[in-house]
Amino acid sequence: MSNNNKTGVLGKILIILVLLYLYAPIFVLMLLSFNESRYNSLPFAFTLDWYRDLAEDRALMEAAKNSMVLALITGIICVILGTMFILGQRYLARRTEGIFNSIVMMPMSIPWLIMGLSSLLMIRQLGFEKNMIFVALGHIVISLPYSLLVLRARISSLDKSLEEMSASLGAGPLTTFRRITLPALAPAMIAGGFLSFMISFDNFPISYFLMPSGYSTLPIEIQLSIKFGFTPEINALSTVIIGFSLVVLAIVGLIMRSNIKSLVGGDN
Amino acid sequence: MIKDRRTIMTWPAMLTLLLFALFPLVIMFYTSFISDATGEFSMANYAKFFSNLTYIKVTGTSILISLCVTLVSLVIAYPLAYIMAKKLKGLKNIILVLVIIPFFTNQLVRVYSWLIFLQDGGILNRLFMTFGLAENGLGILYTKAAVIIGLTHAFFPYMVVTIFMALERLDDAMLEASRSLGASKTTTFMKVIFPLSMPGVISGVTIVFIPCLGSFVEPRILGGTGGLTIGNIIEDQFFEIYGWNFGAAIAFLLLAMVLICMGGLNSAGKRWQV
Repeated sequence: MSNNNKTGVLGKILIILVLLYLYAPIFVLMLLSFNESRYNSLPFAFTLDWYRDLAEDRALMEAAKNSMVLALITGIICVILGTMFILGQRYLARRTEGIFNSIVMMPMSIPWLIMGLSSLLMIRQLGFEKNMIFVALGHIVISLPYSLLVLRARISSLDKSLEEMSASLGAGPLTTFRRITLPALAPAMIAGGFLSFMISFDNFPISYFLMPSGYSTLPIEIQLSIKFGFTPEINALSTVIIGFSLVVLAIVGLIMRSNIKSLVGGDN
Repeated sequence: MIKDRRTIMTWPAMLTLLLFALFPLVIMFYTSFISDATGEFSMANYAKFFSNLTYIKVTGTSILISLCVTLVSLVIAYPLAYIMAKKLKGLKNIILVLVIIPFFTNQLVRVYSWLIFLQDGGILNRLFMTFGLAENGLGILYTKAAVIIGLTHAFFPYMVVTIFMALERLDDAMLEASRSLGASKTTTFMKVIFPLSMPGVISGVTIVFIPCLGSFVEPRILGGTGGLTIGNIIEDQFFEIYGWNFGAAIAFLLLAMVLICMGGLNSAGKRWQV
């Protein structure tokens, strides 16, 4: 049909424009990280200087370490809490399940700005000082819903009767868990863990409110340098972060395969 | 009914959420009634908010920006999702992944890249000047438009996914039936396709509009003074002015706004459910 052809061309143009919009600024940023000029000006002259500066920047390396540690802790704890929740949830009465569910998923629909500042208010009200444990708890609370989404997509395919059968055949609860439940859930646990790792690693609002003075994470360092004048070192840092995120996302994608949609469409 | 002991496994997650997500909100609500100046329990913070025209205006700006972002996202996302779901065969999953990836790039990196991209003397500026489209710089950066561009970039991929999933579920046989019963393409779209995709549209709108209302990073970095939002007012209370309890009151108003919008969109979504 000729009509179909026309929409085909328009469709292609739309797709190209959207992809340009999505990727152009990021590509330009990555390109500029290899450019000699301090003021991001052209003509382009290749250099790796900004990456060398980056590697030698003590404050940034310290921030990178903090980001990593926080994200690792968040990832691990979210997997543990999430797996336990998802396993126990199946035995709840229907109404309780609904209530529990809306409470654990709540941070997904509340702006992180509010999550961050309310935690800060609580810390002050109870007379505590800001410390890294509260930052980690803040990250865990907002990341948990995402790992639950991934885990839930997987557990619906795990038949409860399989575990019951294993138990009735004389396997103890631990054996059943190790031999039946764990292997079935493992891919979702890994994917969910990486996902919460990523959310923590990228998080700015929570860290911004709760970070004790003298500590920082990479997003906080980027915000500071935007505020107080930046050098192309930040371009280099951004490029490294993007590369790192892509690797993690690729791992999640490979594990979840066709299930990438379940990362986004929680209520569908 | 006997309580199943295996439900104990849900407690650690529940306890964490109750203590570190729900309880802080209760504290926020409580402190919002304590005056920063006198420490007394009163409605002073709320009165202060509603009696100052600046705050009302900024709230208006926030709503306006969020509405624009939602509208722009819808206008881009719907046709894109439609083409992906109905016209493309093998390519659609690749494009879906390409659309989702930027969503998972660091928020600060994303905003920073727009700062570099839009700035006068930046790449886009040069491009426009070469083609004679802009003579004295773009002048986009530090305006509401820049905030809208940045926020749309952040959130519209979500909308593509929700609409795409709604459209993909749509049975092609239904469209053929409509066609063979004599409905034109436009009628088929208006009477069959669009109503059936409404749940996807509504969850897309929810997923874009609500985080926009609470955004503060994009407006701060890209918006200049004219593009500041309610999020920035709250942020300032905590980092510049030290009116924490006043900040708590504004945050509670923001939360109320979010909850009302969510309730409204939710019930609208239920009406369209098949």
